[in-house]
Amino acid sequence: MTAPQPPVGVSADTGRYLYAVCRGLDAAAVDSVQGIDGATLELVDHRDLVALVSTVPLSSYGEEALRRNLEDLSWLETVVRAHDTVIHAAARHAPTAPLRLATVCFDDAAVRDRLREWYVALTDVLDRVDGCSEWSVKVLVPTEAPEPSETAAPTSGADYLRRKKSDAARRAGTAEAATATAHLVHDSLASHARDSRQLPPQDPRLSGHEGTMVLNAAYLVPDDAAEAFAGLVAGLGAEHPDVVVDGRGPWPPYSFAMLEQR
Amino acid sequence: MTVLDSGEQRVERQPARDLAPVALVDLLDRLLGTGVVVAGDVVVSLAGVDLVEIRLQLMISSVRAAMEQGEQGREAGSR
Repeated sequence: MTAPQPPVGVSADTGRYLYAVCRGLDAAAVDSVQGIDGATLELVDHRDLVALVSTVPLSSYGEEALRRNLEDLSWLETVVRAHDTVIHAAARHAPTAPLRLATVCFDDAAVRDRLREWYVALTDVLDRVDGCSEWSVKVLVPTEAPEPSETAAPTSGADYLRRKKSDAARRAGTAEAATATAHLVHDSLASHARDSRQLPPQDPRLSGHEGTMVLNAAYLVPDDAAEAFAGLVAGLGAEHPDVVVDGRGPWPPYSFAMLEQR
Repeated sequence: MTVLDSGEQRVERQPARDLAPVALVDLLDRLLGTGVVVAGDVVVSLAGVDLVEIRLQLMISSVRAAMEQGEQGREAGSR
């Protein structure tokens, strides 16, 4: 049996990296945007959808190479940044469904096959995010400073145990209160958003945040309600001075581009 | 307390929407975590198939491994 020949114009050594799928994107809007490693960004269309792609070498983006390269955090960061740059550019101009990192097809025919296969789901996603942006809201509990009266050395073993017990009780009370605050904040924001999603709290080693993250959530907010949403975030922060309410946006709808498993 | 970074969203009539930059850690949350377009962890080999994707778990464990290596490096350097 002979191996199938690659289609004309496509090298067996390269693949097509998918960044996002958009609807109604004017090619001129992204013609100054570069893909990974400065590659030319190209559009592959199917009906009213268009996939943003660029060519990548399979020596770096093939399955085996990806396994190796993804263990290199600086390589990962470069690719994540390039991916995000393309998605930002597209999402400024048209409804955009960002793709997961490192989705690589062999050629444009394969990209079109994906668009055909996912057409209904992609259309649903694009309808949902049209005219909306993602807002991130995190709730952080600052690290507690010790009570001034408790900083002196314990006077006895019993005193030490008493303090230890009261510290534990205070910490538990604080954690409980913070979780309750996080629920309140989330419920309030979610009722003003088109959709919401809770993400796991971030690893402080990655994020560099101080204190404890008790909410890491994303909200899909219509652009004409963005100002009111930002006001609500500020109001919640003022209402709960014991925590930090950190709101950021507007972002491309990263957390709301998930296709349902069928 | 409130930290609110709204970027520059108030721009007078302009066809393009203004979007704020996203921190790397937030991108990793979304690109390796829940913000995926293709549900499920599809890993397809290059042999005869056109789609290459990587297990989500593999990516996350890779990030952790890289960070642990980095930390070990820093600890070794500070000794």
